[in-house]
Formats: sequence, structure tokens, C-alpha cells
Amino acid sequence: MKKVTGRALAVLLLAAILIGGMGVYLYRLIRDGGDWAAFYANDSVYTQGVLNRGAVLDRNGDMLASAGEGSFLYADDASVRRGCLHVVGDLAGNIGTSILSNYRPDLINYSFFTGTTIDGGTIELTLDSAVSAAAADALSGKKGAVLVYNYRTGEILCMTSAPGWDPSQGVDFDLEDPDYEGAFINRAISSTFTPGSVFKLVTMAAAIEQIPDIWQQTFTCSGETIIGGQRIVCTGHHGTITAEQALACSCNVAFGEIARQLGGDTIARYAEAYGLTSAHQLTDEIPTAAGSVPAAQGDGDAAWAGIGQYEDLINPYAFLRFVGAIANGGVCVEPTLFAGEKPDQVQLVNASTAQTLSEMMSYNVQYEYGAANFPGLEMHAKTGTAETYGGTHAWFAGFITNANAPLAFVVIAERAGGGFHVAAPIANAVLQKAVAVLGN
Amino acid sequence: MELVTAIFGEAGPMLARTSRYILPLVALLIVARCISSMLRERYEPETWAYLYLPGNVMVPLRHWECILGRARSVDGQVNDPSVERLHACLIRDVSGAWTVYNLGRGETYVNGTRVPPGGCPIADADVLTMGNAASRFVDLTEEERSSLLQYRHAPGRRVRPGVTLLLLTVFQLLLLLQQLTFNPDAGTGVAIAFGVVAAVQWVYFIVLRASGQTGFEPELLALFLSSVGMSVAASKTPDDMIKYIILFLAAVSLYVFLCLWIRDLKRVKSVRMYAFVAAVAMLAATRLLATPRNGAYSWIELGSHLTIQPSELVKVLYIYAGAATLDRLFVDRNLIFYIGFSAACVGLLALMGDFGTALVFFVTFLVISFMRSGSFATAFLAVGSAVLAVMVVLSLKPETLSRFAVWGHVWEDIYDKGFQQVRAMSAAASGGLFGQGAGNGWLVDIYAAETDMVFAVVSEEMGLITALCCVASILAMAGFAVRNASAGRSSYFVIAGAATVSMMLVQVILNVLGTMDILPFTGVTFPFVSVGGSSLLGCWMMLAFVKGCDTRKSGSFAVVRPERFSGGAGVDDGMPDGDWYDGDGDYPEDDGWYDDGYDEGYDPRGGRG
Repeated sequence: MKKVTGRALAVLLLAAILIGGMGVYLYRLIRDGGDWAAFYANDSVYTQGVLNRGAVLDRNGDMLASAGEGSFLYADDASVRRGCLHVVGDLAGNIGTSILSNYRPDLINYSFFTGTTIDGGTIELTLDSAVSAAAADALSGKKGAVLVYNYRTGEILCMTSAPGWDPSQGVDFDLEDPDYEGAFINRAISSTFTPGSVFKLVTMAAAIEQIPDIWQQTFTCSGETIIGGQRIVCTGHHGTITAEQALACSCNVAFGEIARQLGGDTIARYAEAYGLTSAHQLTDEIPTAAGSVPAAQGDGDAAWAGIGQYEDLINPYAFLRFVGAIANGGVCVEPTLFAGEKPDQVQLVNASTAQTLSEMMSYNVQYEYGAANFPGLEMHAKTGTAETYGGTHAWFAGFITNANAPLAFVVIAERAGGGFHVAAPIANAVLQKAVAVLGN
Repeated sequence: MELVTAIFGEAGPMLARTSRYILPLVALLIVARCISSMLRERYEPETWAYLYLPGNVMVPLRHWECILGRARSVDGQVNDPSVERLHACLIRDVSGAWTVYNLGRGETYVNGTRVPPGGCPIADADVLTMGNAASRFVDLTEEERSSLLQYRHAPGRRVRPGVTLLLLTVFQLLLLLQQLTFNPDAGTGVAIAFGVVAAVQWVYFIVLRASGQTGFEPELLALFLSSVGMSVAASKTPDDMIKYIILFLAAVSLYVFLCLWIRDLKRVKSVRMYAFVAAVAMLAATRLLATPRNGAYSWIELGSHLTIQPSELVKVLYIYAGAATLDRLFVDRNLIFYIGFSAACVGLLALMGDFGTALVFFVTFLVISFMRSGSFATAFLAVGSAVLAVMVVLSLKPETLSRFAVWGHVWEDIYDKGFQQVRAMSAAASGGLFGQGAGNGWLVDIYAAETDMVFAVVSEEMGLITALCCVASILAMAGFAVRNASAGRSSYFVIAGAATVSMMLVQVILNVLGTMDILPFTGVTFPFVSVGGSSLLGCWMMLAFVKGCDTRKSGSFAVVRPERFSGGAGVDDGMPDGDWYDGDGDYPEDDGWYDDGYDEGYDPRGGRG
């Protein structure tokens, strides 16, 4: 009997398996329960497939998306709907990087303790619906993205991507229609583009730190030059100019020469240090795409890399962090979408380099772009017109130092023409709205 | 709803909503009280006789079946080279008569007479000789036994079962309130069903309590689980509760009958052969008559309203026939027969394509085998296990395999193979800790949710706490069977008890972890909770085996009380002819001795030898 009774302990092995299995279940429930509860077939939070609780608000408490009686509602104004579409998303979950796709557990107010047995939640974003609407209007018909954020607090006021559609109407377009190419993609965070001349800010930063006599050098531009056997074409005949003037007139000959002096490795190293080649997190759940700036071998490729061509690809969000850091004494306050969040800070750019770049970007506006084109804005910026297959990307990136509106911005209009002519007016329109909203 | 409004007026719905937070706490209290009672009660061995080994070493015989020999694992160890490792076996029957059996190659003598193969009776003061070692056998008189009995403790003093039963009744009332409020189709049928269960449990308790029984933990847990199951049934088929009531009454009646039946091992053994035959015949008949569902031939349809799943009942027969007394354990022939029987059962389940049940039987076979195996039987059982394992694999039909393919990836196939599980997980998460309210869930309308995914239904409607309480109930029963094993009278009860809780554990493992995609989804029922008549009948009958291994004083009416024996005469037939109702009130209200501690070495005859 002793043997038989002793062997009854074998039962405890099965009990241990059960307890272990329950442990795994509880772990997964705590980790993933919110996503399980947000499943569309969950009739406790969906009424015939339509989310029946929760709301997304902008910084002023204006409704961007909300569960209504028997249907799911979006903002009243069509421009606001489009301007916030890629951040807010749609109920069908077409935009994978959106709030509605990634934060549904918060929307249904899921918690491990209460499940879905209590009322839905409200997500308050930092977006400003008026500024976003202005961005959607300014982009009208063009593909691209507009990003505006407060480089002191990190709040993202505007993150608008185009093409989009009206989420209140559902997907009413042909997915094959070239006008709607990549409509489900938030270009501000999920795409990378050839930067063209906006990249000269990176090259310039490297030169300030790596070329001791950069301020003594002069560069002679006669429209084109040969570096490392490659012909470098410029946009004009700039004559003999300083580095400061070269940035203002975006002289390819001068920057080709500066890039040659730096070398492809140094340029790639600076791009990496400035976070332009790494993926970031817009939020815990939403990652951004990583750009790439390969180390060009040979003077010719290095020259083109320094000009922002060659194989350089930049993500608009990553570039926003970079110009935001220049504006903020080199410290990047991480952009954030959630109101009330205290964002991390990181010293991205050397403080004195940031100061120098800031002055040069102001100089660009004063002596090249024309301050009158940006009335009321204390504008610091750099244009870019990136050569790509099928047209040029128009870039305009920088910041304003207005006391109540410390805003950094990136505008990219995809294959839409020149930076100054296409992107700068979009930036101006959006920032005018932002300053009007925030007060001067 | 009308009922609730009639009783509580406008406050009804508010009351029901609030009760969602009380229900899990009551569940927690019920289960905690049962577990606490099981843990805090003493599991004291009984002493039935003494053996004075050479050198006047006294060995108390704690079981009805004791092995003597040189091995360390025996009940009476004799350190003499002339003694075999497993030399002889002493077995007591229900009338108190002892018999010696010779095991192995050695020779055993009683008062100089050689023990024949069929065994030899042995009485007080007889001399038992194994090899060159002579021992004296000392039986206990009635007075000696009752004086020993005083020192054993009855359960139920520290955690009173009546209070737990009261809590269970509150639990049922809360469930009923929620069903009537949240479930638009729940009406008088549901109310009657809850009423019947409550009435049955109180009658059961009062009758047994009056007869002096004080141990109620396994039944209370089973009643708790059945109440949860009844709420799930009310959510699924609120208009069909009459069927549930009839089945519940039948299940409890069969449970009581089986408890009384297994009081007498001779009677149990006398019909074992019928159990063997019935088990195989029922499975064979199922395979022939069944209407296939999802590729499995497990259900027989009798008319349009009655469907039975015989394999749920065969589980009872399998344990009934598979457990064995110690004398039989040492006969190779019995072992081979048992392996053959198991192979027949698992083989038929394989033919039926019921992979889940085949797996449950297989694990139970392993547990029973492990407990049965002596030193020489292990090889047989290893071979038997391998054969059965192959059969389990053979039971895998394409339909089952396709479910396996999605194992661990149900969220990648939400429209087809993972359809049920993703919904189960979603609903379970939605319930949170406290649940949406009984009758307020949507998962129960998904195919097979009320059986195969019942853990998720309970999580959704009654919350995670109550669902975990259900799992804890089965774990508690398992712990209870293991603890009782040390004081088991016969290996039959120890094996049957362990096999029963193993079967239940495996079912919970496959049911819960299968639903939640931690194990493949095999479609096995959760004991007592899953809706289904065959399963309910089977579970309640198996509960008798859990009661059967409870040898605590006044702990179980499935076990004959020691003071009932009157040495030789008047065999206790265990049937309720006034025998088991005596109202002698041996519930020790008059303590004073209670906390004195139990002296393990107590010997009523002093230094006699």
C-alpha cells in the first residue's frame, strides 16, 4: 500500500501542468487582453460591427472620431476629417499606423480588471484640428505630408498625409487609381523620400564640426563642376561664395566640394547620429520608417550624397526631430501625440552647431527666400528640390521662433515641383493658421 | 425580468448590476472555505491491527491491504535475508477478517501451516512466518478500536459546511437574479431549475448531517461547479431547463447510489467484469449507431431532442474496472487483461475519431498504470503505453488535424480555423475580473461554446475570478484525493480516486488551455460546468470515487465507519437500510481532547508482544 499511496503523487504532476498553463493564460491575458477585447466580433463593444463606445479628441476637445447612436462618427468638417485622417484612422482599420487601429483598447476603455464592462474611453490628442485642416487644404491634390510640432513641449499639432479620403464616406475610391496611390499610408511616418537640398543641413553641420577652416573657405560656382569624375550640376551660376551663402542659395558645386572634403563615411555618420537612419516610435505602438544614408565611396558619390541625392532616403518624421533639435539648442524634445504626456529629451545636435545652423537658416530666409513671403513668422528654413524618377520632391523644413508658437515643421510634396515654389507656400499657409490659433 | 421587477421593483436592474461585483467574491469564499477545510483538517491514518516483527518491533497496519517483505517500500519491512523483497500480503475484508497471501517465490506459514496460493485466514495471536522470520499478528478488539477512534478528528469543525452551503445558496440566488435581469429569454423555467438544485443540496446536507456526516468539501465544490454550469445552460437554452433539472436529479441520485455501492469492496469486485464488458460494448455501439459530427462518431441521437455521448459514461466504467485491490495487482494475468481492456477502449475511441476523449483515457491509463505497476509489471505497462499512444494518434482525423495546424496562430485565421477560439478569447477578456453578468454574454451563441469553450463563457459572464474558482475547485479535488491516499484503506479506492481527479485535471487542461490557444483545441468538456447531460451524469458518478477515498472520521458516507464493524458477524452491506443513518451524533461537540494531538504510536495493549 505504501507504494500505491506514494504514487498517488503523480496526480500532482497534472495539477502542476494545469497551474503552469493557467499562468501562461493569465500572462497572455494581461499582455494581450485589450487587443482580444478590441476584436471586431466582440459584441459587447461592437453593435453590428460598429464600435459603440469611445472618442478621439483634439487638443481643444473638439471631436475627431466618436461612437454615436448606431454609427461611428468623424469630425464635422471635411477638411478636419482629411487633415487628421492618417493619425486618427478609420474604423475599418485601413490605416495600420493610426490611433483607431492601435489604441482601440483605450477607446473601449479596456482594463484587465473591468474588461469591457464599463463605459468607453476618450483619447485626447495634441493635434489641432484647425491647423490639420489647413494642411489638408494646402496639400489639396498633391501627394505628400505636413508635420508641425512644438519643439519645446513635443506636442504634434499637425501630421497630415495625402492622398487621403473622407473616412465618413468609407473607402469610396478604386484602390488601383493612381491618384490614391498609398492612400492607406501615413507618409509622415511610414515613407522615406530622397531629401535633396534639405539634407545640406546635415552636411553643413558636419562641416561646421569637421572642417576647421570652413568659414575661411570660398567656393566658386560656374553652374557645374567635376568631382571624382562625376559632373555636379548646379541650379545657377553663383560665382564666388562663402559657406553661409552656399547654404542660402543651395549651391550644389559648393556642397559637392564640402562633401568631398568630409567624405562619404563622415556624412553617413552624421546622418546616423542625427537619428535620420533609425526607426523611431511615434507612440509605444506606432513605429516610424527608418531612412538610409549609405556611406558613399569615392568623391563623386560622396559629393552627391552630401547634396542629398545619391542613395539618401529620409523619413519626414525623423527630419522633424532634427530641425526641432536645431530650433531647441540641439535638444530634441521627442514629438508626442498624446495630450498631457511628458516626452523624453535627447541632445541630438551639439548646442553651438545648432546655434550656427539656426542663424544660417534665418539668413536663408532673410537673403534668399524673402521674409515677406512669411509675414509674421520668424522663419528659419531650408528648401529642397529632390531629383527623383518621375519628378522632383518639393521640401521645406525648418522652424519659427515666434514667442507663442515655437514650432518646427517639415513639408514634403511628392513629385510636385520645387521646394521654394511648392512646399514653402504650403508651410506658410499651415504656420499662419498655427500662429493664428496659438497667438503670436 | 418581470419576476425581478415584481420582487425588487425599480431597483431590480440596479441590484443585478451591483451583484456582478458580489458574485465573484461569494465564489471565492465558497472555494476558499472548501480548500481551507481540506487543508486544515487532519488526514489521520486508521489503525486496523498490529504485527510484532522479530525483535518485538511493532508495526501498526494502517490499511486494509498491507505488503510485508524486505523491500523498503513495503508496509511491514522485515530485515532478514531469507525474506523476499515482496514476500506476503495481508488483506482485511469489510467484515474484519484478515487473509494472508503469499507473493513471489518465498514461502509463508501461519502457525506452521503453509499458506496455499488462494490465501489463508489469520486471526489474533497467530504466528506468521516468512522465510526464517516469525512475527506475531495482533488484531484489535472492538473496544480497542473505538478507543483508538476517539483520537481521530472529524472534519467540519473549523470550517463549517453549513455556512459554505449557505454561501452557495446565495451564489445561486445571485446567478438567478442576473439571469432574470440580463437574459431576455430567462423565465420561470430558469427559476425552477435553480430552486431544484438548491432544494436538492439542502435535503442532501440535512439528511447526511443528521446521520453524523461532517465532510462535505467535494460535494460542495461539485455543486458550485454545477451551479455555474446551470447558469451557462440558462444562457444557452433558457426554454429547455426541464431537461437540465431531470439530468441533475438523475446525476445526484446515481452519485448517491454509487457512493453506497462502493462501501463494500466485495460487491464492487463482484460486478467488475460487467463493467469491463459494458464499457467496451457501449463504445462499440456508439461507433456503430453514432451520427457523425465534425468527423467524430461520438454522439448517439435518440429522437430529435435527446443526444447522448456514451464516452462520458464509459469514463466511470473505465475507472470502476481499472482500479484494483492489492492482491490483484500482483497477478500478471490481471495486468495483461487491464492493458487489453484499455487498448480496446482507446482503440474504439480512435475509431470514433474522438481524439480529445482518447487523450483523456490515455493519460488516465498512464496514471492508473503508474499506480498499479510493481517492480515486475513496469515492462508490460511500458509496452501497453506505447500501443495506446499509437492508437491515440490514430484517432486523429483530418478535421482534428486541421485544428492543430492553427495551434498558436488562431489570430491569423480568424475567419476559419481560429473562428471559435478568437471569439472565446475576445469574450473572455471582455468579462474582466467580475464579468458582464450571468445571461449577459454573446459567446454562448457561438457553436460549441457552452461545452468546449465553457471556460470563456464563464469568464465573460461571471468574470475571471469565478472562472479561476472553477479551475481551483478541480485542483482542490485533486489535492484532496492525493492527501487522502496516504490513509486509504484499499488500493482500489486510492487508485480510483487518483484516476478520477487525473481524468478531471486532464479535461480542464485540454478544455481551458485548448480554448485559449495554449494547447491544440480538442473539444473536451470541463467537468460539471460544460453543458451536456452525459457529461453531467459521468462527472457526478466519478465524484463517488473522490468520496470513496476519504477515510477521515465521519468524512464520507461512501466509506464504512470503523465502529460499524463487529468482527466477522454482520457484514455491512452498506445499503441504506438504517445502517448508514444512525444519528448517533458522533460529531465531537464535547471536546476537551480535541487539540491534544494525535499520538501516532498509540498502542492500546501497552507492551504486549
